[in-house]
Amino acid sequence: MSALVEGKTLSKWYGQIVALNNVTFTIGQGVVGLLGPNGAGKSTLMKLITGQLRPSQGEITVFGESIWNNFPLFHRIGFCPEQDSFYERMTGAEFLSALLHMHPFGDAEIGKRVDSALETVNLSSVRDKKIAAYSKGMRQRIKLAQAIAHDPDVMVLDEPLAGMDPVGRRDIIQLVRRWGTEGKCVIVSSHILHEVEAMTSTILLMHNGKVLAEGDVHQIRDLIDRHPHSIHIRCSKPRKLAEALVGFPDVESIRFDPEGDALTAESRQPDEFYGRLPELMLDNDIELEEITSPDDNLQAVFQYLVK
Amino acid sequence: MPIHDLSYQHWKGDWTSHPYRWWVISRHGIALLGKKKGFLVLLFLALIPFLARCVILYGAVVMNRIAFVKIDGGFFEAFLSQQLFFTFIIAIYAGAGAIANDLKANALQIYFSRAITRRDYLIGKLGVVVFFLSLPTLVPGLLLFFVAAIFHSDLEFLRQYSWVLLSILGYALLIIAANALVILALSSMSRSSRFAGIFFAAVVFFSQILYGILNAFLHTSSVAWISLSDDLRQIGDVLFRSPLTYQSSPWASAAVLAILLAGSVCIIHSRVKAVEVVK
Amino acid sequence: MAESDSVAKGWRNLKTIANLTLDTLFWSKKTLFVGLLSLIVLALAGVGRALLVLHLIPTALPASQVFGTLMSTAVMRFLVVFVTLFYGTALISEEVEGKTLTYLFMRPIPKPTIMLGKYLALVWIGSIMVLPVVMASYLILYVGADMRPFFEDLNVLCRDIGIIFLALLAYGAFFSLLGAALKHSILIGLAYAFGWEGIVAVLPGFTRKLTITHYLQSIFPHEDTLGALSMLVGDRTAPLESIVTLVLMIVLFIATASLIVREKEYVLEQ
Repeated sequence: MSALVEGKTLSKWYGQIVALNNVTFTIGQGVVGLLGPNGAGKSTLMKLITGQLRPSQGEITVFGESIWNNFPLFHRIGFCPEQDSFYERMTGAEFLSALLHMHPFGDAEIGKRVDSALETVNLSSVRDKKIAAYSKGMRQRIKLAQAIAHDPDVMVLDEPLAGMDPVGRRDIIQLVRRWGTEGKCVIVSSHILHEVEAMTSTILLMHNGKVLAEGDVHQIRDLIDRHPHSIHIRCSKPRKLAEALVGFPDVESIRFDPEGDALTAESRQPDEFYGRLPELMLDNDIELEEITSPDDNLQAVFQYLVK
Repeated sequence: MPIHDLSYQHWKGDWTSHPYRWWVISRHGIALLGKKKGFLVLLFLALIPFLARCVILYGAVVMNRIAFVKIDGGFFEAFLSQQLFFTFIIAIYAGAGAIANDLKANALQIYFSRAITRRDYLIGKLGVVVFFLSLPTLVPGLLLFFVAAIFHSDLEFLRQYSWVLLSILGYALLIIAANALVILALSSMSRSSRFAGIFFAAVVFFSQILYGILNAFLHTSSVAWISLSDDLRQIGDVLFRSPLTYQSSPWASAAVLAILLAGSVCIIHSRVKAVEVVK
Repeated sequence: MAESDSVAKGWRNLKTIANLTLDTLFWSKKTLFVGLLSLIVLALAGVGRALLVLHLIPTALPASQVFGTLMSTAVMRFLVVFVTLFYGTALISEEVEGKTLTYLFMRPIPKPTIMLGKYLALVWIGSIMVLPVVMASYLILYVGADMRPFFEDLNVLCRDIGIIFLALLAYGAFFSLLGAALKHSILIGLAYAFGWEGIVAVLPGFTRKLTITHYLQSIFPHEDTLGALSMLVGDRTAPLESIVTLVLMIVLFIATASLIVREKEYVLEQ
């Protein structure tokens, strides 16, 4: 995978405050979720990637070139900022048209792109309405529209789902996934973990200005040794199953649910655990009703690494 | 019962209304502005004329070396008139964003969802501006009088000029009220503190220029009531029993200032609302 | 061919930014207030004309003096400074405060072009707000049964328009620089325009040359109190030198503003 966005020993500080601390990462095609608690440095990183800030140390390159004051690159980058700010007097169509006029497109091309972007975000019916009269969801959509109207190769989306209703969220998630499969590089920042999970399994997890983890969320989970995997099993004879499991050395603990119809086991070798489970069930005549892994997800990775 | 209930409990005490709710807003505003270094530098610069006049007082009264300076009502009036420039700048700094920033951030709904009234809010905001405007006017004006009294070795100064104390109070309060109410009115008219600041400057300077032009056309200073700063000076002449600077009637100046202050209060009252209905 | 393409592209970018700025800055309620001030200046011309025609006072000023007084005080010393201060300091600051600067900086346009485009819009706005007032004042004061003074003083009008336009360019460039560089540009701008220029212009020595007003006064055909006072303490600068200095100032201020916009990191408060 060729790196479209690359940061090498990247640091950024504002006076005494270090926002980013010696961060190195590469981002290629596809969707990457940029995660972290408040103050982790996500916004600073996004601003560095989009050339709004200059690194205090290290370098940040997009398409192999330094981004700071490299204005030709902005034709290939789209940014959806978090702030809810617009030229309120303009209509949606006028807003997109004004911004597209700053790209090397002719007037006819601009018209087509405005129509296409508005249709993509479902704002065609309100294209001639002033942005000041838009609802919160519409404002978010027009922000997204201006980021995609010029068909960029790299999209940086800061909280793109904020203020949107469930249907809108679903539409945007589907769009983001589609852009990822089309070979674009989409960097999405969000606080809502299950929505990021719905968009991608590739994450860049940040905390206190540093990158804590980078890559596929399941692979990262596997590497978190100090937290054994939890496996929740609902079955006909949980105590019988527990008796069978307790003898294996990888099983760290077993806990029974209050209702008495399920157990949660913790294992440091989940693959082996899953491998032996069918045989144990058959040997002990136990009926399996449900099996889940509550912490093989982004939430768990976030919690275990950040806290 | 050995283990006490530490869960949430409703307040069982008396429900009393805080009589000084406005002070919460004023205190917060003063503390915020007091942290700005640039503003503190400006306040310090505004005190330099006071320090210079203390030196002049010392030289004239104690050392008897500055014979041409007469320490009378005019001396204190001149000091306060000189401070008009600083009150103009401080009014913009402290007052331009006072209400405008709250309008911009939609904070009025948050304010009025608390147990404060519109009056508390306005008095609170006014308190911030009045506090900082009194620092270069009322406070040094009164201090200057006390310094003059102390430097005079006898009570003759106090016997002759005790009325000046009230004049200083009156003139300083007029300057403070005029600046504070006008800047707050302009602040309430926009979500931009820039708009409020610059139109305050326009009101002050344009009125001066208008007077200057009409003075040139009509060859008379009887139209001085058009200029706001000259209106203040005219009232100052009356309060300090000095000869009138302009030919215009002090009543005209008083009327202009009264209309301006009343108009400002009306604007502030009509603009500051918890909910704005957009049609 | 490539060079002419890039010039055409650059000009298109300038126009786009200028149009966007005109749309956001000019078409707003605030412009109504600025327009009101311009109307008051016109009203003063009307008063001057009324005094002359109706013989309300024995020593009424002739049209040329009324026009001169209006131009030197109301227009040059106030309206030009006020309009350029109001719009010039807002060019970049308004985008920063409104958090819309991101949209401009994320376009494939050099940042200096953004600054220049906005300056172009400022010159356009300033010209619309001020120059018609000059021409209308002239018409109000001079049009009458005897049109000879109207044609005799036409060269004065043309000269005034040229100098006032130069003043718009100079003050516009300076306040644009303040707006790009400083957070409290309005206060600094007010202190400069109504503090520094007022005091320093009447001081003897070299310090007077550190003001824009000194060079404008040196070429302005009309005189006001401040101009007369400044003459007491020093000479005017030669007209050609004044014009060249003003042009150099304009270029320097705009170039510096462009450089600042290019290199400064504008942190939009969340």
